Amino acid sequence: MDTPHIDHLTSQDYDHVYEPAEDSFLLLDALEADLEFIENELKPVVCLEIGPGSGIIITAIAKRLQNTICMACDINPYACRVTKRTCLRNETHVECVRGSLTDAFKPNAIDLLIFNPPYVVTADNELETSDKFGECTSGNLVHSWAGGKHGRRIIDILLPQLDHILSAKGVFYLLLLRENKPDEIMEQLRQLGFQSKKFMERRIPGEFLYILKVQRLDS
Amino acid sequence: MKLSTYNFLTSKAIKGVKVGYPLKLTIAKKDVVETEFNPTFIERLLPKLDWNTVYLAAQTVDLADDIPQEQPAAVADNEELLQRLHHLLLEIDVLEGQLECPETGRVFPITDGIPNMLLNEDEV
Ligand SMILES: C[S@@+](CC[C@H](N)C(=O)[O-])C[C@H]1O[C@@H](n2cnc3c(N)ncnc32)[C@H](O)[C@@H]1O
Repeated sequence: MDTPHIDHLTSQDYDHVYEPAEDSFLLLDALEADLEFIENELKPVVCLEIGPGSGIIITAIAKRLQNTICMACDINPYACRVTKRTCLRNETHVECVRGSLTDAFKPNAIDLLIFNPPYVVTADNELETSDKFGECTSGNLVHSWAGGKHGRRIIDILLPQLDHILSAKGVFYLLLLRENKPDEIMEQLRQLGFQSKKFMERRIPGEFLYILKVQRLDS
Repeated sequence: MKLSTYNFLTSKAIKGVKVGYPLKLTIAKKDVVETEFNPTFIERLLPKLDWNTVYLAAQTVDLADDIPQEQPAAVADNEELLQRLHHLLLEIDVLEGQLECPETGRVFPITDGIPNMLLNEDEV
């Protein structure tokens, strides 16, 4: 999988969207490492990335998976526009939607779901004080990393919805931080009817990151 | 927004909305982007789609004559229909317009090809 060009993005863009970092690259590496499965077994018809930010991940996927409808949904309007620009720069196409998590998508359609969530442990009011629905404020950036208690605020909203969003064979790749308590999340997933494994992990300065690969128990 | 994406969007997250599907699509500006036709892919896409909503999309862009109102039993053998579906679903790109919740009338604007489906806190 080629790493997309991002030389069209400027420091002004990074005032509004999450700049690709170690977490982004770990998720890219994990998807690359699992390409054999994705391309030959899963053969996704529909792929959705939640929170594309700069668009680096979904653009790489769209470029590689020619026979997949690739969509991306971010609450940050700037991220939606930047993702479109990243696609153009890399001569591919992703359908961008502004919205929260998977709220806007009809049930059980997604074969490949990807999310590098706002996972940093923060005070819950960090999110409340930002202007979630305004246009392009610095609040946009707070939403790219602020995860609330255990960094799990957004993750915990999404998990119970997985059953409604994934297709029968659907697979979900989720980036987690050790502080998010991945083992607890895996147990929670099992109770929701999903098997999961730590597909990849990486120590980076000050953080320990995991990629969870999640599938239905009966798949 | 391609018309394939239109088939995947719903307003069901609005408080009190039961189905929120299909949304009512109005197009102010659109583009046609040629893409490579892959009949096998259209065949694989079809089970994911709601045919009624495919037909609605066709009506919106004046292509209703191209698409049967009821889903034919065997689309796979019908290369011409697959080609028309390819054009409808993957080549027409809505740049400006709106989607409307069928139950509440809530409007979701489409700007620069990006539908804004984000709800306010008091709507969910
Ligand atoms: C850590 S950044 C990841 C960006 C990019 N995927 C990457 O890996 O570089 C998290 C992204 O999730 C978005 N986000 C946060 N909460 C969201 C929500 N409820 N629904 C959709 N996107 C959300 C943020 O705006 C941000 O773009």
